[in-house]
Amino acid sequence: MRIVAVASAKGGVGKTTVTASLAAALARAGRMVLAADLDPQNALRLHLGLDPREAGGSARATLEGVPWLSGCTAGPRGVVVLPYGQLTEDEREIFEQRLETDPQWLARHLQQLGLPDEALVLLDTPPGPSVYMRQALAAAELVLIITLPDAASYAALPLMDNLVRRYAGPRPGFRGQFYLINQLDSTRQLSADVAQVLRQRLGDRLLGGIHRDQAVCEALACDQSVIDYAHDSLASHDFVAAAAALARQLDAMPQVPA
Amino acid sequence: MTSQDEFRVDKQGVAARLRAAAMHIVNHPAWGHASLRWLTGLLGLGLFALVFTVPLDLGGQVAFAVVSFLVALLLRRVPGRLPTLAMIVFSVTASMRYIYWRFTETLGFETLLDNFFGTGLVLAELYALAVLLLGYFQTAWPLERKPLPMPADRSRWPSVDVMIPTYNEPLDVVKQTVFAAMGMDWPADRMQIFVLDDGRRPEFRDFCAEIGVGYLTRDDNRHAKAGNINAALKKTSSELVAIFDCDHIPARSFMQICVGWFLRDPKLAMLQTPHYFFSPDPFEKNLDTFRAVPNEGELFYGLVQDGNDLWNATFFCGSCAVIRRAPLEAIGGVAVETVTEDAHTALKLNRRGFNTAYLAIPQAAGLATESLSGHVGQRIRWARGMAQISRMDNPLTGPGLHLGQRLCYMNAMLHFFYGLPRIIFMTAPLAFLLFGAHVYQATAAMIAAFALPHLMHASITNSRMQGRFRHSFWNEVYESVLAWYILRPVLVAFINPRLGKFNVTAKGGVIDRSYFDWGIARPYIFLMGVNLVGLTIGLVKFSTHTGEAASTLAINLAWTIYNIVIIGASIAVASESRQVRRAPRVDATLRAVLTLSTGRTVVCKTEDFSQTGLGLLVPESLELPLGESLYVTLFRNEEEASFPAEIVFRNGPHLGLQFQEMSLPQQAALAQMTFARADLWASSWGHGERDTPLKALGGVMRIGVKGFGIFFVSLFRMLRAPRKALGPQASVDTGK
Repeated sequence: MRIVAVASAKGGVGKTTVTASLAAALARAGRMVLAADLDPQNALRLHLGLDPREAGGSARATLEGVPWLSGCTAGPRGVVVLPYGQLTEDEREIFEQRLETDPQWLARHLQQLGLPDEALVLLDTPPGPSVYMRQALAAAELVLIITLPDAASYAALPLMDNLVRRYAGPRPGFRGQFYLINQLDSTRQLSADVAQVLRQRLGDRLLGGIHRDQAVCEALACDQSVIDYAHDSLASHDFVAAAAALARQLDAMPQVPA
Repeated sequence: MTSQDEFRVDKQGVAARLRAAAMHIVNHPAWGHASLRWLTGLLGLGLFALVFTVPLDLGGQVAFAVVSFLVALLLRRVPGRLPTLAMIVFSVTASMRYIYWRFTETLGFETLLDNFFGTGLVLAELYALAVLLLGYFQTAWPLERKPLPMPADRSRWPSVDVMIPTYNEPLDVVKQTVFAAMGMDWPADRMQIFVLDDGRRPEFRDFCAEIGVGYLTRDDNRHAKAGNINAALKKTSSELVAIFDCDHIPARSFMQICVGWFLRDPKLAMLQTPHYFFSPDPFEKNLDTFRAVPNEGELFYGLVQDGNDLWNATFFCGSCAVIRRAPLEAIGGVAVETVTEDAHTALKLNRRGFNTAYLAIPQAAGLATESLSGHVGQRIRWARGMAQISRMDNPLTGPGLHLGQRLCYMNAMLHFFYGLPRIIFMTAPLAFLLFGAHVYQATAAMIAAFALPHLMHASITNSRMQGRFRHSFWNEVYESVLAWYILRPVLVAFINPRLGKFNVTAKGGVIDRSYFDWGIARPYIFLMGVNLVGLTIGLVKFSTHTGEAASTLAINLAWTIYNIVIIGASIAVASESRQVRRAPRVDATLRAVLTLSTGRTVVCKTEDFSQTGLGLLVPESLELPLGESLYVTLFRNEEEASFPAEIVFRNGPHLGLQFQEMSLPQQAALAQMTFARADLWASSWGHGERDTPLKALGGVMRIGVKGFGIFFVSLFRMLRAPRKALGPQASVDTGK
């Protein structure tokens, strides 16, 4: 099992969209993919085409003390989805307190799923420092940081690096972080310039870029993956390319035995 | 293991042993003694003279010729340079035997008429032999120089002035070159770009000021381009000077590829790179052979210059080259005495002991001359210039050159004297067919036994040496078209080298409808006419003659038919194809993305690009109204740039875009994403289909027959409506 945490220091960078699209692209490429949502917004399931009435989820399963397997749903895009689950505010407080005292909660439960070696787990996390981010960093083999080609995102990069260093860095088997630029727009000079600076700074650690594309929003509204909805769109091509780059990175690294 | 495998292994073993034995001999210390080298050379020459002077009767000559040719055919199958050299030896043997026999056995002319035509033909043959031998010498061992990497320490990189001389070319053409030059990878503090405007045009001055490149003018236009560059040399100071014709667009890598050798060799004064054209020249356009048959220039840049480089005799070609300032100033700047200032400059540099070099890597591309008359005008200039140099600064005499350099320069000059010999060859059999002159005092069988080996060895040897850059028989086509036109200027320049002026080749024109250029074709129509008359008379005679007379007729008829094919091809070239677009289109498959006004994007591919628009291949289901504004994004590695455009054409999957008003930085980005990319257009260079003589003959014959058809159709049209058929009068500017 290969675990990749998708993270960002700032909100609003399109992390959930990217996670869902990458998961769908990887599944299309024949990979076994589990997309797990660690964000209390519980939005990933909608991006992956699950019925909103579908219950289940990791937080819900944990609170009820049932196996996670029962919280997983095979979605329509070939991706197995593990939502966060519907929690009341009280439930969430209790849940988060438990996570504070049990830093290996996520890693342990994922192991207990008994997924095959080649299975890929994508973790969607809430932005910035949080108990969920800490859990994800403690479990992940690799962190994929999403950033926008703008000044604020650029300025927030060191914060994310600090978090990674603190919660994932010293662990054996952790392979470091990679980056993906979202919402590139070469018709705007600032976007092009910041992207250029990012390319220079990140070098090989930059997996690719996703261009700004109306098809992404429209696909969500139409309850389809962008690759199905607009196959010829640049964003679709970008997601396929980024998924391939991610798979290449993982394949190039020998898997560490759990 | 099959017997074939065994044979192969065995063959390799033999080759390896032969190579080892050869190396053993070559590396023997005894070669250090000059006397031994001379002795061996003289012995070899003596034996060689014996081989080509030994008289043989018909049977003996035929046996010798057949065995020689079979050996050459076997050698042709063995790769490597040694077999090539051996093939040259066989070819030289056959040719020397022929010419020796020709002079000793065939010249007993009886009548004045025989004497006149016979002497003319043998002189033309002598010329052809001299060019053949010099050509072998010049191209036997191309140097194949590789670029040297630049040192990591950028403080050692020399400073460069990039000079772009212009006189009357439109700003749109010059802009592309300037944008591409700005994109060259070189430290900004060590590179300055100058537009050298002999037209002194305000819009050029304003453009240069706006994008921040230098703009230089002078008070007069003396000595044209050479004078323009010399005037700029006085106002600039960098160590190196890179020169680009204003329509030669440099690739981003140009400087880094070229400058390495200047750091290695302190005596290097000039480094030339090929002139590459991304649009078809008139031959390619009118015969529809673009990228299928190597064009006229490819032999020179693919092979001749690389061969010159071995002898330290690379010519400067006026553009796409880097020159070191100090040596150039030492010879008084670019030469101004002749109309081919470039070649003469290189000659002067070599005479002063400086080195010149060639890199066979296209690093700049430009527009080919569009019309045949323009092309002819340019070649006339080259031919006249070379004739001038041969009179005013003959490379065979004067100081500073070694024998190899003298011979390379000599061949370059001599090459342009092909006009008269070529016309003699195209009419020679008529001397017999029309006037009954006996230009050959020999039987048909003897002529065949001596002449055929000479021609066939030369053909397969040249095909092997030049196969990537010149297909068999195409030399004849190229030279035949120009022969008539360079004949007179070359003779005039040879008699009085100070006559004549520089003429600029106009580019980027429009040929708004197909037409037949009668002006250019007239001499060939005349030649076609007399050859057809000769053919008819010959055929009539052939039907009534027998024995030796019939054989002689057969030889002359075969020769005439060959001439008709070549003249037909020359006429086909004069049939100008329609050329609608002013901005040249370059075929290229590039990734592109459309961003529509709705914010949606479409990934597609380009089919071609130009300065003003793009041709794209899009999904057929995509609905896009004409006139729709959008952005199109192009990519180069990780860089990308978007350009505003409008849809102007749609047919199925084909979409035509026209760029909208763009800022100068956008225009520069466009040039750097398209024209300035050697990776797009240079890949085809030297990688075309290799020559096979028979296939090439088939191709030339097809075109010859087509020309034959055009000849009759045009004749018919002219007879019906003489005025209309003439079309736009494109007269040749002979520059007088």
